[in-house]
Amino acid sequence: MKSVAIAGVSLRRFFRDRSNVFSVFLFPILLVLLLGSMQGGASNPRLGFHVETPDAFSTQLLEGLEGIDGLVVKELGSEEAAVRAVERGEIEAALMLPDGYAATLQSGGEVELHYVSRTQTEQLQGINTAIGSVVGQQSTILRTARFAEENGAGAFDEALAIATEAQMVLPPVEVVASTAGEPFALAGLGQFDIYAQTMLVLFIFLTTLQGAAALVQSRRLGVTRRMLSTPTPARTVLFGEGLSRLAIALVQGLVIFLGTWLIFGVDWGNPLLALVVLAVFALVSSGAAMLLGAVVSNDQQAGGLATMIGLGLAALGGAMFPLAVFELLSTTVWRVAHITPHAWALESFEELVGFGGGFGDIAGFLLILLGYAAVFFTLGTWRLRAILTR
Amino acid sequence: MGSDLSNGNVLECSDIRKTFGDFVAVDGVGFHIGAGETYGLLGPNGAGKTTTISIIAGLLERDGGTVLIAGEAMDPEATAAKRHVGLVPQDLAIYPDLDARENLRFFGRLYGLRGSELDHRVDEVLDIIELRDRANDRSDEYSGGMKRRLNIGIGLLHHPTLLILDEPTVGVDPQSRNAILESVERLGEEGMAVLYTTHYMEEAERLCDRIGIIDHGTIKAEGTQRDLVQLVGQRDRVRLVATGNLAAGSAALGELPGIDDAAVTAQGIDLIVENAHDELPEILSVASRTGVSVGGVDVDTANLEAVFLHLTGRALRE
Ligand SMILES: Nc1ncnc2c1ncn2[C@@H]1O[C@H](COP(=O)(O)OP(=O)(O)OP(=O)(O)O)[C@@H](O)[C@H]1O
Ligand SMILES: [Mg+2]
Repeated sequence: MKSVAIAGVSLRRFFRDRSNVFSVFLFPILLVLLLGSMQGGASNPRLGFHVETPDAFSTQLLEGLEGIDGLVVKELGSEEAAVRAVERGEIEAALMLPDGYAATLQSGGEVELHYVSRTQTEQLQGINTAIGSVVGQQSTILRTARFAEENGAGAFDEALAIATEAQMVLPPVEVVASTAGEPFALAGLGQFDIYAQTMLVLFIFLTTLQGAAALVQSRRLGVTRRMLSTPTPARTVLFGEGLSRLAIALVQGLVIFLGTWLIFGVDWGNPLLALVVLAVFALVSSGAAMLLGAVVSNDQQAGGLATMIGLGLAALGGAMFPLAVFELLSTTVWRVAHITPHAWALESFEELVGFGGGFGDIAGFLLILLGYAAVFFTLGTWRLRAILTR
Repeated sequence: MGSDLSNGNVLECSDIRKTFGDFVAVDGVGFHIGAGETYGLLGPNGAGKTTTISIIAGLLERDGGTVLIAGEAMDPEATAAKRHVGLVPQDLAIYPDLDARENLRFFGRLYGLRGSELDHRVDEVLDIIELRDRANDRSDEYSGGMKRRLNIGIGLLHHPTLLILDEPTVGVDPQSRNAILESVERLGEEGMAVLYTTHYMEEAERLCDRIGIIDHGTIKAEGTQRDLVQLVGQRDRVRLVATGNLAAGSAALGELPGIDDAAVTAQGIDLIVENAHDELPEILSVASRTGVSVGGVDVDTANLEAVFLHLTGRALRE
């Protein structure tokens, strides 16, 4: 387990530099937030809600609104506060109920709901629909109950209970917010889900490739050569160094994965399989870093090339423009894209997320990715040995 | 480490050749080192010492020749042969951002040590290189001499059969230098075979049982220091700072078999002798018998510097 010793020392040195500790976690978190803000373009509409003295019916209405997927309801302390919040853009609209809401309704009186909104946006349409449907539902129930009572089916309260129960089985209403002019959307895949996949692939490969500089540095310190004077084969040395890059990539990938999944609700399909794709792609990235680190001779060069290659392959491999766009352009472009490991990782994610695929659906892609890793590590070992022993 | 020694030799190499492009850096070097022997490769900058050593340690591919370490063939893939070797490279090869203990532990693991054996050896080596009290400081905070000592310590961890030191005292203060030389002497006495390269002839003279003089990639001459000196007909010079009957003393000393020449000078008597070390007791007793009182002795041994100049036509250090 000499490669573990090599990886251990490499990690220890990496984390001894406080700025590295920071960046390993900070950049993925920033990325998650960036993704979150992209989602903000199509973010959930926010509705303020105020009632002076809550009662059974106002609570039912509030719960109905809160139960709507994609609508955020904020309870506010006063009508003025609600209006101010709308003015400031903290919420898109506010709904205010008069005092004695339940009493008026039960006695069959008319109720006026006070509704404030900013100028018309698409999000408002969603809110209007939502309010319309919840209020509509409530009044349907009330009307049903009153009808039942008037036709001698029993007391109003009993009738109401039955009518409410009947409403439970109705499908919930969903507010769907959408932004105009979306360039592209795959069936079953939200725009935000695609962003999350492509950014993950772009980021992991790019930052891991930067790790080539670490190998270059060890080489320049003479310690890599010294390792070869011990009974340690070149492949173990390279694999050990690569293992440390893999560990860092996995941590970063996990932060992005968990952040986007748990906080922003990105769909990753089967999460375990998504993690397997992530791990295999991180291995490919580490192998590429080791190959680069064995080829170049100074760390600046390594950094510059890593950035160029990292962004270049990402663009080519569909991590900037969706692969399907390439497919529309021409099959040649599509084929060229699949020279990159990025394309195969994205294919795997699309299979998992877009088509709800299982292990069997991505096994082929994973094999191809493992092939990349094997080729990168083999070439890197060959190159490292040549550079040190000739 | 237990090992089968071919002909009792820890190292046997012959006809090693290495070219870089058109440049022949090593051109048919061969020698052997017996168990417990310290062998010096003495040569100027660019002579091919590091290249030879790198091939012997299995760090560099060679264009020709054979290398056997404790009977095992050495090449860059030969992990079995590498187990026997501890290499101390000419340029520092340590992690500057790790402390001495971390550096030692890391390389100890690569040499196959683990658990309590590793702990034990790391402590032992820290004592040998006298870095115990600085063991937990980052090595980039060490003085040049301390870094050199750590660089050496790494090569000692696994009790190598053959310790290879490539100019370990270059750029080191006199105090550290002496400490390094003493450790190497001690290791030699303890039975470790040592291959030591240097361009300081004093070091070669002090440490090495046998010396190979290397220049332009070939070994020009080889043997004990005395062999080499005699090879070129060098003699020792002994200066007696003395008073009394100098003329009588000088005449009597000139008659001694090991003394080639004796002359009275302003300070005392100057002698040219074959081997100052062997003759000195006799010289002093003859001087006192003939009424010369000796206040001081200055011995100038024939040195490798002169041998080198004679063999290569150039000085050891330009
Ligand atoms: N990798 C290389 N490529 C080209 N030439 C090299 C290489 N390594 C060594 N040489 C050349 O081979 C010759 C021998 O070098 P080497 O390092 O073995 O000398 P050395 O005796 O160790 O010198 P020094 O006392 O300066 O360390 C030198 O002329 C050097 O320039
Ligand atoms: Mg050298």
